[in-house]
Amino acid sequence: MALETFTASQPLTLGVELELQLLDTHDFDLTPRAEDLLRELTNHSGEWDVKPEITRSMIEIGTSIQRAFTPLRDELRDLRSQMSRAARKVNIAISGGGTHPYQHWSEQRIFPTERFRYISELYGYLAKQFTVFGQHVHVGVPNGDEALWLLHALSRYVPHFIALAASSPYVQGVDTGFHSARLNSVFAFPLSGRAPFVLTWEGFGQFFDKMTSTGVVQSMKDFYWDIRPKPEYGTIELRVCDTPLQVDKAAALACYLQSLCRYLREERPFEPAEDDYLVYTFNRFQACRFGLDGEIVDPKSKQRSKLRDDIIRTLARIEPHALDLQGLDACNLIRESLTDGNDATWLRRQRREHPPMAALVEAAAARWMT
Amino acid sequence: MPGASAAAHPEPPLYPQIVDWFVTLLRAPLAGLRGADPVLGLAVVVLAALVLASLLHRRLRLPRLLGYLLVGAIASPAALGLLQRTDIDPWKPLIDLAVAALVFELGTRLRPRWLLDNRWLAASSALEAIAAGVAVWLALVALGAPKASAAAAAACAAATSPVITMATFLEARPRGQVAERLLMLSAINCVLAILAIKLWPVLAHTRVLSAPESLTLLANAGAVIFGSLLLGLACGVLLDRLGRLHDEAATMPVLQLALVIVAALLATAWGLSPFVALLVAGMTARSRMRHRLTVQPYLGSAGAALTVMLFVSFGLLSTVEDWRALWPWVLAIVLARLIGKGAAIFATARPSGLSWRQAAALTLALQPMSSLSVMLVADSFGWRTQLPGAEPAVIQALLIATTLMQLSGPLWTLWPLKRLVGEAVDDEPHER
Repeated sequence: MALETFTASQPLTLGVELELQLLDTHDFDLTPRAEDLLRELTNHSGEWDVKPEITRSMIEIGTSIQRAFTPLRDELRDLRSQMSRAARKVNIAISGGGTHPYQHWSEQRIFPTERFRYISELYGYLAKQFTVFGQHVHVGVPNGDEALWLLHALSRYVPHFIALAASSPYVQGVDTGFHSARLNSVFAFPLSGRAPFVLTWEGFGQFFDKMTSTGVVQSMKDFYWDIRPKPEYGTIELRVCDTPLQVDKAAALACYLQSLCRYLREERPFEPAEDDYLVYTFNRFQACRFGLDGEIVDPKSKQRSKLRDDIIRTLARIEPHALDLQGLDACNLIRESLTDGNDATWLRRQRREHPPMAALVEAAAARWMT
Repeated sequence: MPGASAAAHPEPPLYPQIVDWFVTLLRAPLAGLRGADPVLGLAVVVLAALVLASLLHRRLRLPRLLGYLLVGAIASPAALGLLQRTDIDPWKPLIDLAVAALVFELGTRLRPRWLLDNRWLAASSALEAIAAGVAVWLALVALGAPKASAAAAAACAAATSPVITMATFLEARPRGQVAERLLMLSAINCVLAILAIKLWPVLAHTRVLSAPESLTLLANAGAVIFGSLLLGLACGVLLDRLGRLHDEAATMPVLQLALVIVAALLATAWGLSPFVALLVAGMTARSRMRHRLTVQPYLGSAGAALTVMLFVSFGLLSTVEDWRALWPWVLAIVLARLIGKGAAIFATARPSGLSWRQAAALTLALQPMSSLSVMLVADSFGWRTQLPGAEPAVIQALLIATTLMQLSGPLWTLWPLKRLVGEAVDDEPHER
């Protein structure tokens, strides 16, 4: 199957996808109730959509195409209130968070669709271990070449998004020491990592043909890269964020990405190169492990700096673009979380006050739901 | 005792000569044992129940509860007559405790706010109890039963056995909406049934009641419910307070068991409803203690042992006396219940968020009948015989129906949860 042509789309439009946890209201463990919730939401109002994910205790929502922070945030809030009402009706709770602190992956059940069964058969236990919850942000780009350029230029900023969104410190009842343990599950997949360094869509097409000819890959969906082009939407998709505990933060992260993309496209402060990826895995690990306290190495200047400082500097640089995109509120929210800490920090703080894990999950659910 | 309308002459045996010989063989030593210690006979039966239940579970994948019930039924006067009903009298307090523990645990699993979040659920819970009651009443009256007695039977028939529901829940550990609704609905329909029985003289118009008499009756019923509520609240709060002082995981089950005993005995002594008191105690404890409350299944191994005895006793209370004369009424009760509950559940399924398959599963799971009627006539659980003037034949039909729907109870609950909606999975076969 040849690579599809890249659909042209209006640049800098946004789409946000969130994977959410479905929780039992008795013990706040994951509960396989996606079908019940989906049935309740069949006639929801609004342009957003809701669909099942690989295991039945996950659910995915997708916003409509948005252009600015306030309408995006309002759509997410509307979605949140409708979903909360539906969830209460069928006696479940919904929460954000990159992982569920104490679910055991072996108890998860695969949602019965063609694609999910295929993934389950191919990847075995990894499919059930993939009960992790992420936020994917789509940014519109006008053509395939620009998509690839932006994809590689953004790689330097991937640690920002990992650290800001990190919300998965607990796995199977234990504090992993990471801010984002979710990404360790993602990295287990053979086709994870980053896209090959190609800057033209034609060149990318050749790479894709080679991969499909080996039979390793059948479609773009089989790549689990941190940033992935989505030719049928005409977007690039950032996939490293954990699902935040609040929808306002999800909107803020999306708009931070939007302003960043505008800054990169218009000012072109640097040209991406293959050597940028020399420090990529180190920076990514620092962000996953230490969150905002991590350190990153600038691929061009080879300077090491604190991630927090790097975000502050970046916010300053993108401010005029945020202003033009009406995204200043988003940047302010990001700045606040630099001082308050990310969601992983919040979860750890909660744990100190409320020892039982179930209480922690209940607090997280209360934080998400209205 | 159940079957107060015992036939003047015994029914001809339902089994052939050889079994009769076998039974006579067993009766002699058991009579001897009974002479030595009346309690020993039941203990032997309980041991037999454990063995049979384990066998049935391993070979035929049947629920263990079914094994306990069957052994009790086989030993009962209805079948082999190895034990008489009076033999369980010394065990009554422990049996009451087993029921109390299960009801308390049921209370801890309920989230009352769900009824507010889903108004249609609240509607369906009231509707299914009322529809079942009305359907049974209509069916019995159509078959010639006196209206007042039919009303008593209908009130009892509205309930789903919370004990079988909860015990099956603990054995199979289902997860899903049908299981959660089953718990909620069986709690609510039992409370409604208790209320209906309390108000039976008013409902049944047994004789013309003057206004003050009706008012007294209503006030009395209200006082019982309200009093039970207060008792339950107090016990829940007490458990919370004591739990804070004694923050050890080991003592929590003992604390819970002790409190359950206190609540049950006080409720009985004060003429309140132990069922309501313990249900509310469980709900209060959950709402106040949240995740500090850990409830071991059956409140620990002591409760688990008591539950085995409970189910054997249910089996022992089986009766099929006069079934040849009463089978139309028995069938009427069973079918009308099924139809009444089914109609209500299906009518409210879509608005309350259930799929058709889930509605079918829920209807089936609600079929096990409660021993309320047996308790009433057997004078245990503190309710004095409340039904003077009720036609004994109708009550006997109710008891036979209860026997049937109790013995088959675990299957009615488990099969839909496993096979229809997949909320419970089969245990892995044990390898020995």
